[in-house]
Amino acid sequence: MTDLPPETPVEPAGRSLLDRISVVWVIPAAALAIALGVAWHSYAERGPLLELTFENASGIKAGETELHYRDVTVGLVERVGFTDSLGEVLVSVRLDKAVAPYVDDSADFWVVQPEVSARGVTGLSTVLSGVFIQGIWNDRPDGFVERHQGKSAAPLNREGRPGLRLRLRAATDAGLTEEAPILYRGIEVGRIGKAEVSQDGSTVEADAIVFAPHDRLISTSTRFWDSSGFSFSLGPGGARVDFSSVAALLSGGVTFQSVVSGGREVQPETRFEVYPDESTARASVFAADEGTALTLTAYFEENVEGLSVDAPVTLGGLRIGRVASLNGIVDAARFGDDRVRLSATLAIQPSRLGIEQNATPEDALDYLAGRVREGLRARLVTASILTGGLKVELVETAETSPAEIDRDADPNPVIPTTASDISDVSATAEGLYNRINDLPIEDLMQSAIDALNSVSTLAGSDEIRAVPGEVKALVGEARGIVGSDEMQALPGRIDGAVAAIETLTRQLAEADAASRLTEALDAAAGAAQSIDAAAAGLPDLVARLNAVADQAATLPLNELADRISALLDSTDRLIDTDQARDLPTDLSAALRELAAMLAELREGGIVGNANATLASARSAADDISTAARDLPDLLDRAKRILGQASATIEGYDASRGMGREIDAALREIQRAAQAVTTLSRALERNPNSILFGR
Amino acid sequence: MDVSGEVKSARDMGLVACTRCTRVWPAGTRSCARCGQRLHPRAPLSLQRVWAWWSLGLIAYVPANIYPMLETRTLVSTQDNTIVGGAVEIARHGSWGIAAVILTASVLIPIGKFLAVAGLALSVAHGSRVSRARRQQLYEVVEYIGRWSMIDVFVVAILSALVQLGAVVSISPGPASLFFAVSVIATMLSAQSFDSRLLWDGPDPSPASRSRLA
Repeated sequence: MTDLPPETPVEPAGRSLLDRISVVWVIPAAALAIALGVAWHSYAERGPLLELTFENASGIKAGETELHYRDVTVGLVERVGFTDSLGEVLVSVRLDKAVAPYVDDSADFWVVQPEVSARGVTGLSTVLSGVFIQGIWNDRPDGFVERHQGKSAAPLNREGRPGLRLRLRAATDAGLTEEAPILYRGIEVGRIGKAEVSQDGSTVEADAIVFAPHDRLISTSTRFWDSSGFSFSLGPGGARVDFSSVAALLSGGVTFQSVVSGGREVQPETRFEVYPDESTARASVFAADEGTALTLTAYFEENVEGLSVDAPVTLGGLRIGRVASLNGIVDAARFGDDRVRLSATLAIQPSRLGIEQNATPEDALDYLAGRVREGLRARLVTASILTGGLKVELVETAETSPAEIDRDADPNPVIPTTASDISDVSATAEGLYNRINDLPIEDLMQSAIDALNSVSTLAGSDEIRAVPGEVKALVGEARGIVGSDEMQALPGRIDGAVAAIETLTRQLAEADAASRLTEALDAAAGAAQSIDAAAAGLPDLVARLNAVADQAATLPLNELADRISALLDSTDRLIDTDQARDLPTDLSAALRELAAMLAELREGGIVGNANATLASARSAADDISTAARDLPDLLDRAKRILGQASATIEGYDASRGMGREIDAALREIQRAAQAVTTLSRALERNPNSILFGR
Repeated sequence: MDVSGEVKSARDMGLVACTRCTRVWPAGTRSCARCGQRLHPRAPLSLQRVWAWWSLGLIAYVPANIYPMLETRTLVSTQDNTIVGGAVEIARHGSWGIAAVILTASVLIPIGKFLAVAGLALSVAHGSRVSRARRQQLYEVVEYIGRWSMIDVFVVAILSALVQLGAVVSISPGPASLFFAVSVIATMLSAQSFDSRLLWDGPDPSPASRSRLA
């Protein structure tokens, strides 16, 4: 053992850290580090606490209920409590940090619950999973807002789609149902929100949204109407049932269209009326709502019945507004007496005045003020004679008293008025009656009676009684004449004759025969006046004539009387001649001829010719009529001339001693009578001569 | 050899035993010539390893009790239960026995293990009034019972495997089950790391020996 090296004490070298500390410590250290890391991370990543207040929190549970945004979970309810006064439920939601900046003032929150409605089942998933809170906010991070008021129902724009928000107003029976669709040509383009009764209780109002891109269809000329329900119509095409959609049928809905062009873009929250049906909606375009109306007041002196609210206000025949309201007014300070006046408030549409587009009421007032200075006045006129309804007409008058629109009057500017033009039916009828009453009917009747008496006397005469028999004979004779070949050729000749007459008449008309006649009569009148003037110097002459008459008185008057007697005898003989007696007979013969001729005409089948003839005759008659238009005047003048002549003759008559002239006149009459006799004879021999002019 | 009074350990005798093949070598021998095992008179850094595993077990035990152990999804509801919460729930429904079993297996035993291992380790470092034999007994109990602590994890695993009826009912392990398993494993390793020979080093603080010393 001695050869062994001496055992040196082995001092253990400085033990390394690894030897002094177990490696196992790494594991708990790592676990601790991980735990701390996770804890720090989760704390650092923890989003802010969102406080939502709800009226009730049915189904919301702490630690379970989630907050969804676009159906993605972005938060979890941590606590459900109450607000200070237990007034509302306070739900604290731990929000994801990433979305927190977006939850700004624009955010809306509501509780999604299962719902079964006519439009389908919504929120079905919540039946099993429990309710969740849905949030919607815009895409701009405007800073986190901690406290929000939750909504009791889903907001209108729950999808966050861009759109145009509107306000719809309807009468109570229109279909403003919550969640009802807004349809455009059958496509759902929007939605109606919760409806509420307006403050005055007369209408129902609801928010609505029309989603982009259809919101550009909305303009100021857009009209909404109720599309719910269905319409049934019977027409030539058969029976017809219309309804927009089943959902709209059940739950209501509105549709819209721009019924006229030229609407302007609308601002959000614009108010629109919902009409009960399409025709009303279309009609409404012309009714009202064309911008703000100008209200004027007119005080009418007359207090007449017939003007009513909504009566038209017209300017130059165009309707420019309506009567908005009517009152009686007593204002001694303004009018100076205690009479009741009619105060009408007129609503005038500036756009109807035809001044520029987009005219404001002020523009319209300026325009009307200018017109009033030129004489424009308001007055009441009859709108309908049958109903007696009145309207207000703005009319240009030649009124002398200048007037202005009183712009400062309260409550509206006052437009001056003028006397009304009310055509009263009863007054008109009375005037007509008075005129009829003034007609000389009794005189007319007397004249008629006298005329009838004369006719009766004439008809009672033997000659006239003999006429039928003679007519018969005449007809027989005429038949013979008509049978002749000459008569067969007659119609053609008549045609020619009528043509000749027409030509003649035309020439006459052209030659202005009537005016020439008038001139001639004027000349005659002048002559008569000259005679009258000459007659003025007659008294002297008369005196001389008187002297002559005195001398004449000594002349053998008996001889004169005898001569006159002889004249009367000859006249009597003239009348008593066979020729005069035969005149009826001749007439009968002529009638017979005429009848025969007519028969012949009918038989000859020359109706066409006759028609042509008659047409020619008619034009000839027209020409004659034209020429004869001046006849009354002529007659007047002739009458005057005759009057003058009569006066002159009377003057001459007064001078007496005109026996010689009378005698000469009687001889002339005798000659004339003989000429008539000759004419009648000629007629008897050749009746055609009157027709053919030879 | 007088063994009646003093218990002499191998170290006292200048020997070291191989823990693998049980061959006894003189003290100072580096490795077992028979099986090649490194020889230590006492496991090196035994207490450090105990404490390391123990703290890992304790760290894992916290989330194991906070997070849900079981996630039960039925058609209408999802229920997440922590260990204690589930036991209380079961107890509320009247199943006191099951609740007691769960509480025992999942709460009492792990906590007891933590306390026991910590007590043993502290007794080695600072001495104890409990007799060495009693402490050895305690250590053996802890070692034995440790493996049964996994019963909770097994229950969760079996339930998850069995109750998978699609959408109607399904049970899945919650995050706590993983933490619980880690905790159990850590405590088992902690107990294993404890070199029970340390218990017998140093004086026996039993009343008998103390009286004799006095």
